Amino acid sequence: MNAPQVALEARVVRAELGRKEILHGVDLRLPAGRWSSIVGPNGAGKSTLLRVLAGLLAHSGEVLLHGEPLRALAARSRARQLSWLGQNEGAGDDLTVYDVAMLGRLPHQAWLASPSAADRAAVERALRQTHAWDWRERPLGQLSGGERQRVLLARALAVEAEVLLMDEPLANLDPPHQADWLALVRELVRSGKTVVSVLHEVTLALQADEMVIVDAGRVVHQGSCGDGATHRALREVFHGRLNVASLDGQWVALPQ
Amino acid sequence: MNTDLTGRRSRKSSQKSQKKLQIFLAVLLRVLRVFATSASLNLACAIAAPAQAAQVTDDRGVTVTLPQAPRRIVTLLPSLTEVVCALGRCDRLVGVDRYSDYPATVLALPQLGGGLDPNIEGVVALRPDVVLMATSSRAVQRLESLGIKVVALEPHNAADVQRVIARIGEVLGVPDAQRLWREIDGGVNAAAASIPPAVRNTRVYFEVGRGPYAAGEASFIGETLARLGVKNIVPRSEGPFPKINPEFVVRADPDLIMISQNAAPQLEQRPGWASLRALREGRLCVFSPEDSAVLVRPGPRMAQAARLIAQCITRKSAGSAR
Amino acid sequence: MSAAISVSISGRARRPGWLLAVGLLVLAAALLLLGMDVGSRGFEDMWRSRNDPVASQILWDIRVPRTLGAWLSGALLGLAGAIAQGLFRNPLADPYLLGSASGAALGLAIALALLGASPFAGEWVLRVGFTGAAFAGAVVGVLLTLVLAQGVQHTMRLLLAGVIVGVVLGAARDLVTLAAPETLQGLQAFMLGSTGYVGWNACAIMSAVLAPGLVVAWATGRGLDALALGESTAASLGLPLHAMRVALVAVLALATGAAVAQTGLIAFVGLASPHLVRSAVRTTHGALVFLSALMGGVLLMAADVLARWLVAPQELPVGVLTAVLGGSYLLWLMYRRSGVARRAP
Repeated sequence: MNAPQVALEARVVRAELGRKEILHGVDLRLPAGRWSSIVGPNGAGKSTLLRVLAGLLAHSGEVLLHGEPLRALAARSRARQLSWLGQNEGAGDDLTVYDVAMLGRLPHQAWLASPSAADRAAVERALRQTHAWDWRERPLGQLSGGERQRVLLARALAVEAEVLLMDEPLANLDPPHQADWLALVRELVRSGKTVVSVLHEVTLALQADEMVIVDAGRVVHQGSCGDGATHRALREVFHGRLNVASLDGQWVALPQ
Repeated sequence: MNTDLTGRRSRKSSQKSQKKLQIFLAVLLRVLRVFATSASLNLACAIAAPAQAAQVTDDRGVTVTLPQAPRRIVTLLPSLTEVVCALGRCDRLVGVDRYSDYPATVLALPQLGGGLDPNIEGVVALRPDVVLMATSSRAVQRLESLGIKVVALEPHNAADVQRVIARIGEVLGVPDAQRLWREIDGGVNAAAASIPPAVRNTRVYFEVGRGPYAAGEASFIGETLARLGVKNIVPRSEGPFPKINPEFVVRADPDLIMISQNAAPQLEQRPGWASLRALREGRLCVFSPEDSAVLVRPGPRMAQAARLIAQCITRKSAGSAR
Repeated sequence: MSAAISVSISGRARRPGWLLAVGLLVLAAALLLLGMDVGSRGFEDMWRSRNDPVASQILWDIRVPRTLGAWLSGALLGLAGAIAQGLFRNPLADPYLLGSASGAALGLAIALALLGASPFAGEWVLRVGFTGAAFAGAVVGVLLTLVLAQGVQHTMRLLLAGVIVGVVLGAARDLVTLAAPETLQGLQAFMLGSTGYVGWNACAIMSAVLAPGLVVAWATGRGLDALALGESTAASLGLPLHAMRVALVAVLALATGAAVAQTGLIAFVGLASPHLVRSAVRTTHGALVFLSALMGGVLLMAADVLARWLVAPQELPVGVLTAVLGGSYLLWLMYRRSGVARRAP
């Protein structure tokens, strides 16, 4: 089996927030067509790393998207290839669910053009995938936290990019919807997309294909989620307060 | 003839003691005279206090007692400064407010801030015998609580000016303060008489500031205009300085427009004003900033204000009386 | 809290935005007709005196441009308010945030003071004009804010810089009025707002700023929607955020400057118009900007007609009436909302 292609690569990346250096020279290769999850203790720099990979944060060093330097890409071109779902910020209470999802099509739309048939189809697909199609006319302000998160996810899906980066995508989602999300991600990976997520729930992160463990601004381990070495590294990075066990054929992480 | 208790005094000794008494009294009188002349009015006033002390009731209704005519005066209102100087006591001023500018000699005096919020410390440091200031100033109570005598007066119209002159005359101990008022009043009458009869009843619009704010009949300027016999297009019912609709002026079509130079520029550019008869025929009185100050200040220069307006009326509206 | 809001929002009928637009335009036309009949004699029927040359001159040279000018100025302020609230993602933002109000007041104060200072200075002031001075002051105020905030990148910095510039320029204006107290009356009239000096020229100038401003704001509407979801989301969608911000700040500065120069500092129109629109319909930013402009125009026109009518021939300050009209309506809305919340299960 060929070594998978590299979707995203980081080379000696340093990044600051304010005046504090968060990432101290990160080297990373994320395989294409796989789901990689980034985990680590609080304050390790996971979100910062994800933002750098998305091209949203100034950094030194290089980030490559499908082999091309991110910096060299035009903003819209990058936006078409890379979709970002950040932690819930802002309001947008007045926008309807449909409007919000349609915003995901912005990278594909000419500046003042109205939505095309392809745009409408993509939005419908995304809303159905997140089971939000039935209430597409409701304003965002009327939704519960979980419903809102699903709409934001639909927005990220509507971009139909090859690479999806998601920061805490399971916020406010109850277990059934978390299960839906897992199924959705596996479906995306099956169709060849690359998914990178930052999850603080380690059990859910363990369902991914690859795991990247970040501690104190550095990558301390990268490996398959089923690997014993990965589990040992996990335990270490959490100072032994975490135990990884198998349950019904799935990996489960339990705090100790 | 004095006899002492023993009754044994000889005639010679009684004569001696009489002489001693006379010498003693003469010396005493001389000493008293020296005191009386070299000392200030203090001693004389202390001896004669009830007769010379002034009791002045100011505009607040407060009666202020001044034991003698003040020698150190602070004024914090330009019109009051002018009255003090017009009554001939300019040399007694030791401090004025920032806005007092007439006569020119007061510009050399220490300036104590604005009239409404003067420099309290500065006022106290000058050790004034009395402070003349506006009733609407917050500093009145502060100064009084510091033990300074305050006479609060604020003239807004001609009647006020007459009253203020009388009060300040009492404060200063000036015998015939009303003479000043008679001069002023006479001057206004003379100005009114100088206007040719054909030109009386000119209809005037007087603008005092950008807004536009007009001087109505109820204002001081309006009063002066009325004394000069001209008509004001802004009636008494609108108050002293109403902010009027510019359309009103177009409607009223005044014969003469009076305005301060600062507010004057480009009147023709105001919407609808280009057609005003007064502007088209050049019947516009533009007063320089110095003249404007005289016009708006109710004080001893009222007669000068009246003359300024009368001159302009005579010049600009010759033969255009309706 | 969210339950209360959801009850009250569903109480808001889902009327389409265009219905509100038509309503506002009809209202504006009605107010224009009313404004033509209101003047220094209160209400008078101008149709009857249409043959009188003085009356018709008053009508066409004074009342019509004035009423129209009120609409244009209100529209500019409504537009600027919608932009400010969208750009800063803050419902309390108003067009004067970036120092334009204090800059304009300072510009006018300096002009008024210079007029009396020397003949040379006076000539310059006459050439530039009071409106020119106020406009220049507004633009300078915004530029100062941009310099202090080092560009348009960070909205928090922009807000803070705007507050600082506002305070500092306000203090400078106070110093000018202390040194030249004869400027106080004129400055106060400016700060309270009035359409008294608005003629056809002023209308033309305001239209020339309003039209492109509306176009720019509408074109960036989708960008503002994306910004509402968060800065990183908008950036990730490939939006040219920097160019958008520069364009919007420019429109904000020019629109506010043009309105303020012609009609003075009228409070509340910029702040209230977007809220009034949102209380009636739910829209995206592109439509909100247009509707906010229409709403602002109607608000200011109504206030202006009342200002001229109530104490004719005197005029009330327009700013007081805009606050009373707009504020009362918002208070009523708030009362109604909290009342509904109490009754909701």
